[in-house]
Amino acid sequence: MLASLEVAMFYSLVVATTLCMLLYMIWLGSKNEFIGRLATFFTIIALIADTFAIILRMITSGHPPLSNGYEFLLTFVGGILAVYLFAEFRYKLRSLGAFVMPIPCLLLMFIIMSMGPEERIAQAVPPALKSQWLTFHVITAMFAYGAFAVSFGLGIMYLLKLSKEGNGEKLSQGIVSRFPSLEVLDELAYKVVGFAFPLLTLCIITGAIWANYAWGTYWSWDPKETWSLITWIIYAGYLHARLMYGWKGKRAAWMAVFGFAAVLFTFFGVNYFLPGLHSYAQ
Amino acid sequence: MNENSKGIIDRLWGAFSSMKLGLTLLGIIAFVAGIGTVIPQEAMDQGKAQAVGGLWKTLGFTHLYSSLWFRLLLGLLCINLIVCSTKRLRSIYLRTFKLTPPSKLAQVPQKNKQVVKGELASLRESVQEFLRQKGFRVTLSDQSNPWSFIATKRRLGNWGSLITHLSFVVLVVGALLGSLLGFKGSFTEEAGKTLPIQAIQLSKGTVSETFSVSINSAEDRFLPNGERDNWYTDMSILENGQEVARDTLSVNHPFEYKGITFYQANFSNGARFTADMGGQKNPVVLQDQGQSYYKAPGTDLYLVANLSGSSSLKPSVLYQVYKGTGADPIQTGQLTSGQTIDVQGKYKLTFDSLAGFTGIQVKKDPGVAVIWLGCGLLLGGLLLAFYWQPLVISGILQSEKGKRGSLTVGVLSGKMPDSTRKALEQFVSSVTKMIS
Repeated sequence: MLASLEVAMFYSLVVATTLCMLLYMIWLGSKNEFIGRLATFFTIIALIADTFAIILRMITSGHPPLSNGYEFLLTFVGGILAVYLFAEFRYKLRSLGAFVMPIPCLLLMFIIMSMGPEERIAQAVPPALKSQWLTFHVITAMFAYGAFAVSFGLGIMYLLKLSKEGNGEKLSQGIVSRFPSLEVLDELAYKVVGFAFPLLTLCIITGAIWANYAWGTYWSWDPKETWSLITWIIYAGYLHARLMYGWKGKRAAWMAVFGFAAVLFTFFGVNYFLPGLHSYAQ
Repeated sequence: MNENSKGIIDRLWGAFSSMKLGLTLLGIIAFVAGIGTVIPQEAMDQGKAQAVGGLWKTLGFTHLYSSLWFRLLLGLLCINLIVCSTKRLRSIYLRTFKLTPPSKLAQVPQKNKQVVKGELASLRESVQEFLRQKGFRVTLSDQSNPWSFIATKRRLGNWGSLITHLSFVVLVVGALLGSLLGFKGSFTEEAGKTLPIQAIQLSKGTVSETFSVSINSAEDRFLPNGERDNWYTDMSILENGQEVARDTLSVNHPFEYKGITFYQANFSNGARFTADMGGQKNPVVLQDQGQSYYKAPGTDLYLVANLSGSSSLKPSVLYQVYKGTGADPIQTGQLTSGQTIDVQGKYKLTFDSLAGFTGIQVKKDPGVAVIWLGCGLLLGGLLLAFYWQPLVISGILQSEKGKRGSLTVGVLSGKMPDSTRKALEQFVSSVTKMIS
């Protein structure tokens, strides 16, 4: 019964995420306020469905939703939806939805297309995963990665707006007219990275504490650890270059996009191409 | 000569105080670390690492993270961070504790500034009232003409960046301590056995301690739903044969004695047999999956065991007997508890019971506490840098005609010009409201 409800929640999440992505795009073109509100409404529905799917999975499996790739992806999607909604309400930035929502939508499509039902069911967790530190580790990763996805969306918006300005197009019309100013986009991306960077650091630290309890080694240069460090260095570079060389604007936007590519590789690439201690995450 | 050496030191100091060098080193470290995830590492997969080309091996790419040149990169980054931090220390101290109000108009931040006009006394009072209400720490100028102020909020945020950078040095020192003064090893043992700590299989360092470890019990425990609960090892520490400490450890719940930590790393099942050679009975314990073997004395017969399909309720074992270096077994079969078979007419073998082998990792790392200190500093520094950003407002009040004057006020733009501009706008609108 609960398992069926969880499946229903998952498909509600898929439908709501797809709808909100499409609605945000239509809103961007049509400027129809009702469509904009509907997009936000479906994003909230998606977050609620995701949260319920995770809670139901926790009830049926009896442990935090961290036993396989499906569960990790659900938390990742939840992180993106939560951080995005916060940014939309806090900064009145609905146009961001058209650039962020494709990410959870693609992640969910990835689940549907590449993971069979047997890969999605709750699995027994090995003794090494039975740690509270792991819960903190994944929660911090969820919000950090979610925020990096939002900074990616802001970077894309910045680059789009800049290219339109460069072409000398009239900015009072068209999609980019709904975007905030370049300065606001740039600073917002910086704020989001500034929010996510300490969280990514905390994610790495809680991972190190957990690894020390589980394997007696706080750092073992496992591919996942190494790539999370590389991601950390890329964002550290973003923050430094901004201060030192005044790499604001275009370069910073490219770094936000590049940084999120590293996030995706850390999340997917390492799990599927570079096995190590984190191989259970597949 | 002296001037030359001074010149070299200055040049080195100049080179290492460059943030550009720091960023370049970080970039190289990231790139090289990435290569290490693609090339097989000896520490992770010795077999694959052996198959890597000779040149890569010679250059240290198969043990990249422990290679001298990778450590040199980390060392250079440390020096860079120390020099940069030393250079910035004074300005951060002054920015935090010794802020001085502007004495002339040019000292007011120029990028973000506004002018408010009004009565001199009213402006002075409103400014002070606003800053007090908003929790600013205010410093006023000594002289009254021109009257000026500088106010700061969240001033400790100035230290965030410095603490973050130095935390990296602390982390490297912690790792170095562990590497130089610690050791790492492991052992696999069954319940009822005792072994001296110096007998463990070491992968790093040396053991100077002399106590012994006794395994009281080793258990692979399952939950009622059939899922594995955890592996549990009841372990005692013996000093001169006397038990001085005892604890039950499991995965994620290590046990520490005198700075040496024991971690439950793995568990393997095994089987107990009795080998009867012409009336002489020898106990034999073999690990699952052929991880250990028994060679009967005076024969070239090798016995291995496999426990797949066995359960605690219905113990059984699959056995295989090999002769010499032969690749195929010459005798195989299954034994249930208490069953006896004849092995090639040389001896009789009885399967007694199942046995549990606990795999324990042993580690002494005096650097771990330093590592956690570094992590704490890193996190604290980042929180200060990003969640506690200082705000500095300063202004100067110049009299114009009679009792009226103009207040020029500016905000240091910092990392977020849009936010600081908003802070300035809030200041100006509040003060304007208060004087009107």
